[in-house]
Amino acid sequence: MASDTTVKTKLGEYLVKGDRLYTKTDEWLLIENSTITIGITDYAQKKLKYIVNVELPEAGHKVKKGEPAATLESVKSVADVYAPVDGEIIEANEDLIDAPETINKDPYGDGWLFKVKASENIDESEFLTPEQYAEKIRKEET
Amino acid sequence: MDLQRELGGNLGEFAGWITSMDYGNPVEEHVHTRTSVTVFDVSHMGRYIIRGDKIYEFFQKVVSKDLRKFKEGHMSGPVLLLNEEGGIKDDIMLYYLKDDEWLAVVNAPNVVSDREWLIQLRDRLGFSNSDVEIDDVTGKTTLIAVQGPKAPEIMDALKAPEDIKKLEILQFLPNAEVLGKEATLISRSGWTGEEVRSYGFEIWADVDHGREIFKKAVESGAKPAGLIARDSLRLEMGYLLVGEDMGESTNPIEARYWLPLTLGKTDCIGCDKVMKYYEEGVSRFRVGFKFKKGDRSIPRHGSKIFAGGKEVGYVTSGTYSPMLKRSIGMGYVKTTHAYIGFKLQVEVRGRLHEAKISEFPLI
Repeated sequence: MASDTTVKTKLGEYLVKGDRLYTKTDEWLLIENSTITIGITDYAQKKLKYIVNVELPEAGHKVKKGEPAATLESVKSVADVYAPVDGEIIEANEDLIDAPETINKDPYGDGWLFKVKASENIDESEFLTPEQYAEKIRKEET
Repeated sequence: MDLQRELGGNLGEFAGWITSMDYGNPVEEHVHTRTSVTVFDVSHMGRYIIRGDKIYEFFQKVVSKDLRKFKEGHMSGPVLLLNEEGGIKDDIMLYYLKDDEWLAVVNAPNVVSDREWLIQLRDRLGFSNSDVEIDDVTGKTTLIAVQGPKAPEIMDALKAPEDIKKLEILQFLPNAEVLGKEATLISRSGWTGEEVRSYGFEIWADVDHGREIFKKAVESGAKPAGLIARDSLRLEMGYLLVGEDMGESTNPIEARYWLPLTLGKTDCIGCDKVMKYYEEGVSRFRVGFKFKKGDRSIPRHGSKIFAGGKEVGYVTSGTYSPMLKRSIGMGYVKTTHAYIGFKLQVEVRGRLHEAKISEFPLI
């Protein structure tokens, strides 16, 4: 398993966990068989700042790859979280409803957002490795 | 996730000023203002020095409030510059330094237009340059706000005179020493609500001095706070923001902005119209509302307000209230629906949220 890295740029420091995959739109993915747990990265939560509201999909809800599945809101901005694959929501992290700031405090752990069961085989090569994601952050911040 | 989908304008820029929107966590800054003490750099606010022998006569004719009781060492409270139709151009604050010298604080977006309007009126009303002189000193000075129940401790650390603790709300001490240097003034004021509920002081000082004051305040334990917290704090109190909650096409009666009004005052620009709106009634009222406990979806400027299937109004400001743990806002609704306790629905991203009209302050 790859180790964790901290990407340091002029604008900040961002943790990239080595145990998972990433999307270009700043979600992290933990893949177990056909189930993916999705959250937002440390980089994303630091850009959004203090999250005050989260709108989560309900279990059973069908999602399409690339379409918004959840919405995060800070006092001055709104951001969508996209489904990484076609599939069905099997669980959402309801604890976040009353404590959305958990996403800021622990984006890679207790701040996970939802789990989706993919309707087809997951092609992991579509996603970014931790190294590729770290590189994306460096590029955006230079 | 799409970080580009941001609302609320350019982060870091307000009315042409690059200023701090937050210092990492606007919600914490908000709570800290209510429970402890924060310091804001509000130097983006426009500031004028007004001099001349006829400034009282002039301002009595151009602002919505009767200034007969206005005296040395006092702030006027917000007063309105109205257009001929009784619409709100700006709400400004006057400071009575001496009979022939006042100061004014105006809203940042209007710093140029307010001065132009005042000069236009000066000429139209037959005053001369020497009767009323208006100097824009915005860039030459700073305005630092220390707000919260522990503000007096920070003022001690800033070596401010003991006398400031005797100031009533909207009184000020001119030429007050801060950190061993003379500042223009220290006032018991602010825009967070803490100036009323606990303590709030504002310090008007030269640029370098202001910088020193801000730094020392932070070193002494005040948490720095930015414009986002300032906005959520004022919204909990129900204070109106020009350009969002009021403007040239809003009159003070429908805005229910009573504080700057002396009803029955007729000798000011727009005052006769205000009286007419008051007597004849208006078709909409500004109201405050709260979402249900735990509902944190934030209504934004322009969000629609419904009563059942009928659209009855719109939101002008909304935010998440950390004190109430729910979203709050203000907006305009038809007068037929503008009752305290009345239930309405507010649209946020296509979904309707239950809201209840509440009196200000909302906390």
